[in-house]
Amino acid sequence: MTDLSRYEEFAEALEMIDDEEMRFEYIIDLGRQYERDDPFPQEWKIETNLMHGCMSKVWIVDDVDDDGRHHFRGHSDAIIVNGLVGMMTEAFSGLTGAELQTITVDHVRRLNLGALTTQRQVGMMAMLKHLQKLGRGNGAMAGAENHDDHS
Amino acid sequence: MTMAKVATDRIDQTAALDVAAARADFPILKETVYGRPLVYLDSAASAQKPRAVLDAVQEAYEKRYSNVHRGAHRLSQLATDAFEEARETVARFINARSADEIIFTRNATEAINLVAASYGRTFLAAGDEIVLTEMEHHANIVPWQLLRDQIGVVLRIVPIDDDGVLRLDSLAALFGPRTRLVAVTHCSNVLGTVNPVQEIVRLAHDHGVPVVVDGSQGIVHAGADMQAMDADFYAFTGHKLYGPSGIGVLYGKQDLLERMPPYQGGGEMIDHVSFAKTTFKTPPHRFEAGTPPIVQAIGLAAAVRYVSALGMDAIRAHEQALLAEATAALEQVGGVRIFGRAPGKAAIISFLVGSLHPYDVAAVLDRDGVAVRVGQHCAEPLMARLGVDGTARASFALYNDGTDVEALVKAIHKAKRLLG
Ligand SMILES: Cc1ncc(COP(=O)(O)O)c(C=O)c1O
Repeated sequence: MTDLSRYEEFAEALEMIDDEEMRFEYIIDLGRQYERDDPFPQEWKIETNLMHGCMSKVWIVDDVDDDGRHHFRGHSDAIIVNGLVGMMTEAFSGLTGAELQTITVDHVRRLNLGALTTQRQVGMMAMLKHLQKLGRGNGAMAGAENHDDHS
Repeated sequence: MTMAKVATDRIDQTAALDVAAARADFPILKETVYGRPLVYLDSAASAQKPRAVLDAVQEAYEKRYSNVHRGAHRLSQLATDAFEEARETVARFINARSADEIIFTRNATEAINLVAASYGRTFLAAGDEIVLTEMEHHANIVPWQLLRDQIGVVLRIVPIDDDGVLRLDSLAALFGPRTRLVAVTHCSNVLGTVNPVQEIVRLAHDHGVPVVVDGSQGIVHAGADMQAMDADFYAFTGHKLYGPSGIGVLYGKQDLLERMPPYQGGGEMIDHVSFAKTTFKTPPHRFEAGTPPIVQAIGLAAAVRYVSALGMDAIRAHEQALLAEATAALEQVGGVRIFGRAPGKAAIISFLVGSLHPYDVAAVLDRDGVAVRVGQHCAEPLMARLGVDGTARASFALYNDGTDVEALVKAIHKAKRLLG
């Protein structure tokens, strides 16, 4: 069974905030919190970890454990994007490559709730695609063992 | 047409701009974003359209639409007349000697590419030098790089000083026996710097070198008189001048245009075609292959009439007052760094707020209904010169007023509070 409990927590937290402005600030707080509690190592900010096509720079690294589960870490120098990429990488960590491919646009939409402009929504879709690509083992730091997971 | 009439009635070149009346001419400014009034400070990317333009476009489609220069029927004649009248309106607006010097393109980018491809490949050769500046938009860099890769021309770059002023001394020193072309922006879309193009043209002509001016911002904020400026080519884009998207203009001196080969081939631009040999029309039609942006040209002419009626001097005076007000207000905020301090600059302010990421700042501003641009503004080499990854940019137009400045400053304070 795909464990989406962390994703559910984010989605529910956002759904509980019924004011758009507050949801926006929630993302900002999240971005700041990641930066404070779990700063992204400077040496990971390298070209191979860059996700291309974003307005602000986004780095994502992928660590695959012995069970073939992906553990992502992401970062952006822009706080808001850092909040979004942090939420995305945390929400969809712990999944196998195959499980990652079952995540859909609708999952991501639940993390938006209109608080974000289209451009950032598109950015989040691009992040999902990137995580799925890493899940297929195409990424720089992804393990090759996951090729078989995906048909 | 009624609004165009109203605008014409307002003609009084000495009068100050009636901003409240002008604002009312732009329907989109009544829109709200996230439930807040729209504060549009992104006109340097694309300006909003007055009712006169919207009406002209609508009327063209409703009453006079057909293809141009083709049908032997009444509608085609009306459409052709309106299209060619638009050319004349634009020619008068920039004081060209003749409407034959006005080529309609899709945008400024296409206009510059036309010069690079047609003039460049005909009159330039390997080892010839093209002079550009550090403050160019990619639209006035990349076409010349393509030419470099095709025929081996050499690009020489004029630096700017720390205020964002072009180093004319360096420009003068760059002229050599192989200098064949100068391509310079009239006004920087990042710094607001208005370059002394007339002086630059004189200097270049003293060396027998023609000049291409990117007028995308200059035509809006500084106005352009082709006979006074004496530029050989002047390119601009309709959508920044309150006109529709999809229409640009290349002005070219007639004797140059006549010596230039076509840019693209197809219908409209030919005189006679056989499989053995094709002859081409004279300029400007030689450079307008295929069905042109007919209604967009008509819309652009309406925009030109609109700003002319308000008075370019009145618009400029208004923008300058706003620029001074906004600059002073931003300096009060604390920690705001403004890029571009050239004397006489246009109402374009690129800035950073402390160490905040400009993307974050723009996102908070956006939530307050304040639209600014963020990023590299299609000017990566300039960003490198400024030593930044990007900036936020507030740009002002004829319809902005003091309340927009207040909203901007208030939102920046909020950004500092939320993000700092
Ligand atoms: C200085 C300058 N040159 C060229 C352009 C290109 O205009 P367009 O994209 O309409 O061709 C712009 C606008 O983005 C500009 O600001």
